[in-house]
Amino acid sequence: MSSLIWYIYDFARKAWADGFTNAHSRSELAEKPDRFRDFPTVNKQYCIGCGACTVSCPSPNAIKIVREKDDETGEGMTFPVINPGACIRCGFCAEVCPTDPKTLECGENHLIHPEFNIIPSKRQYIIDDYLCIKCKKCMKKCPVDAISIVNDKLQVDQLKCIACGECVDVCPVNGAMKAVFVENLQDQKDLILLTVNYLEDYINSKEEDLRALQKDRLLQYDLPLDGIWDEALKIIPDDEISFEIISNAVNRLKIRIIDWDSSKCEKCQLCVPECPTKCISFDEENDTIVRDKDRCLRCSICYQTCPFSVIKYFIAKFSLENDRTIHITVKASNLNGELLME
Amino acid sequence: MILPIGPIHPALKEPIRLKLQTEGERVVKAEIEYGYVHRGIEKIIEGQTWQRGIYLSERVCGICSYEHTQTFAETIEEICGVTAPPRAQFLRVITNELDRIQSHLLGNSTFFKSMDHETLFMQVLELREYAMDSIELLTGNRVNMGWNVVGGVRMDADERHFEPILENLKKIEEDFEMTRELYAEGPALALRSKDVGVMTKKEAIKGRAVGPIGRGSGIKYDFREDHYTYEDYFDFKTIWRKEGDNYARTLNRFDEIPESISLIRQAIDNIPKGDIRVPVELKSGYAQRRNEAPRGEVMYMIETNGNLIKHITIRTPSIPNMDSCAKYMIRDVASVADAVSTYASCDPCVACAERVAVTNEHGDTRLMNMGGVK
Amino acid sequence: MLNSIKDIVRKSSIHVCIVNCGGCNGCDVECVALLSPRYDLEQYGIYVHNNPREADVLLLTGAVTEQWRENLKRVYDKAPEPKIVVAVGNCPQSGDVFNQEGGHVYAPASNFIPVDAAISGCPPRPSEILEAILAVGPQAIADRGREKK
Repeated sequence: MSSLIWYIYDFARKAWADGFTNAHSRSELAEKPDRFRDFPTVNKQYCIGCGACTVSCPSPNAIKIVREKDDETGEGMTFPVINPGACIRCGFCAEVCPTDPKTLECGENHLIHPEFNIIPSKRQYIIDDYLCIKCKKCMKKCPVDAISIVNDKLQVDQLKCIACGECVDVCPVNGAMKAVFVENLQDQKDLILLTVNYLEDYINSKEEDLRALQKDRLLQYDLPLDGIWDEALKIIPDDEISFEIISNAVNRLKIRIIDWDSSKCEKCQLCVPECPTKCISFDEENDTIVRDKDRCLRCSICYQTCPFSVIKYFIAKFSLENDRTIHITVKASNLNGELLME
Repeated sequence: MILPIGPIHPALKEPIRLKLQTEGERVVKAEIEYGYVHRGIEKIIEGQTWQRGIYLSERVCGICSYEHTQTFAETIEEICGVTAPPRAQFLRVITNELDRIQSHLLGNSTFFKSMDHETLFMQVLELREYAMDSIELLTGNRVNMGWNVVGGVRMDADERHFEPILENLKKIEEDFEMTRELYAEGPALALRSKDVGVMTKKEAIKGRAVGPIGRGSGIKYDFREDHYTYEDYFDFKTIWRKEGDNYARTLNRFDEIPESISLIRQAIDNIPKGDIRVPVELKSGYAQRRNEAPRGEVMYMIETNGNLIKHITIRTPSIPNMDSCAKYMIRDVASVADAVSTYASCDPCVACAERVAVTNEHGDTRLMNMGGVK
Repeated sequence: MLNSIKDIVRKSSIHVCIVNCGGCNGCDVECVALLSPRYDLEQYGIYVHNNPREADVLLLTGAVTEQWRENLKRVYDKAPEPKIVVAVGNCPQSGDVFNQEGGHVYAPASNFIPVDAAISGCPPRPSEILEAILAVGPQAIADRGREKK
């Protein structure tokens, strides 16, 4: 009985009636406030194809710049296309879009002052303090005065930099002004690894030359880049970028080569306990010493330990110019001398 | 007997596995198995520009997404040596407190759902919708707001936005008293939550419990006391309770809501005029900042390299809270149902938790500085 | 005759299970908001049970993480026929922001289980989810039920 009274009381309350009459209908639920950021709308005709939106977008698959087919009337239009399945509706593309009026619009537009604008670039320009000779040629050349001296060091102001690349052309020291790719670090690592493996395999295949090499003599080879070029393009499908990454890496590269002449080996097993990565092991069944190439650090401890000179140790250096051929120079390691130099 | 719960279970919103060791109906011990939502968000942020990083840090956690962006922005601001202008700071406080209101209401509604009390679950969710409306009105999106930028906030707000927010707050306040009373004074609910899942103050310090969970156990500490905006412009009192049971934790979250409402009122009344964003000159360096998220203390440690983020480590409150829940709260609980509601009372947020390396009790004290806890 | 009666029953009572296979939690929160009196999912005959064994609709949120690669198929198999899968948010469709260098997700989810409908947004508003479920859910369930016969 008491619960019945309670129900009657509850239904008679004004709050219940209010709740009943003020309930939202389906169309009211779908109403969005003024500020609601929906998926960006694209005004094709204003697009200049700068790519600022694709570079700035935090979501990797959200914006794609497409180009229509050319026809009689002229060139096809270039414009961004939004993929709603990946767009996170942050509105950042509308914020960076440099055209006026905007190509991309997203909700109530945000503050867009010139000082907050950024022009994204695939490269970041960095000055290497160690190599820089402070000739200030880049400072004079820079069209937007982005380079300045701070604490006796030249610095690039990333906010002002428009990534024109003139500073790199004018820099007299090779490597002091760097244009680093910041986007695809993992791909770059893969590419460098591919190159290094290719070079090492090539040198190891020249076994006889290496074993016959005298001290204070050099071995020289020319290796065309085409052997790995197709594979390199699979990793980064841009000719120019791939070549630049490879040549930057190769010109600075120094590989230590280990040659293992198992005919001289007397199975003394001295090298087995010395190896820091345990990559040398003794195979009792076949009575041989086995070296796992993939785990080897090229630290040269086995070379120093071995009393029968089974192991030989070489240093290889490389250079790659525009002729697409890698010049290889191999010399026998003068380990003590090298230690002194370092 | 070991009773596994999860990763998909009617009582859990997010995938996680609870292993309850039972003796008869009693739950003696619990263990939590993580790893269902690990996406590697810190690794994704590494090597990105800060402009993108701020949208990525939002996706660490969907419920308290706002606090992550604010802490990220404040950390980068500290590296660059700027502070957001006062108007932006006030707008940040408004959004932060609205976010806190909705998160606390959501946490409590989950708790009521786990106790199978549909009425309160529905009522609390109804209140939450008003907070969500205000957030959407102000920032343009309900969950991932995209409201902060380094150096301020993205959009200005004026009377058009403040009026409806105040109205919504009034609506929340009207029903809030009744809802709170229904829980706090109702005998059936109180009996099921009082003296269940007790964690003493000592254990809370040992388990590094933070936020409402630590405050429910008697750790009177709220990082907002030390935050520069709150310190300079705002009055509020830290809510804390001594009991350390489910009742205290839930009521603690309830009681923080009026404080947040009063903070929003203060902010709207006293909001200064001026810029909402300052240009930032990027520098390289390292900084760390803490902030009080709805669930406790969030910490960001960022190392930048000019334009790019070199390294980022995020410490979120969920891991210590969930661990102390498994270790100290679910320990000799009367039934499995109580164990599940105890787990829900610690307001777990798995998406936050699944990106950290847990520091053990002898770990680096600089990262988990308990000296700061009063 | 029997089929049309079954259709009515299937259309008017849909049981939903939310499967979070590794997202930021935002979409799950919006799904919970759907239960609130404002949106009131249950007035359309949709019940959220979070139990795959009695689910007709699997609401999939989140990009697929390492742990879910095998478990997702298992959860899908546990749901009784007829069943449909609705992907909520961007993560199951494209991996959203997580599907880039450093991320550890295996999006899209359609590589693992068939996805019948997708709702875009990060996260979508509750009203958008509601519209999409109502537009797709009842009819698809009824059709799927007839297919098997």
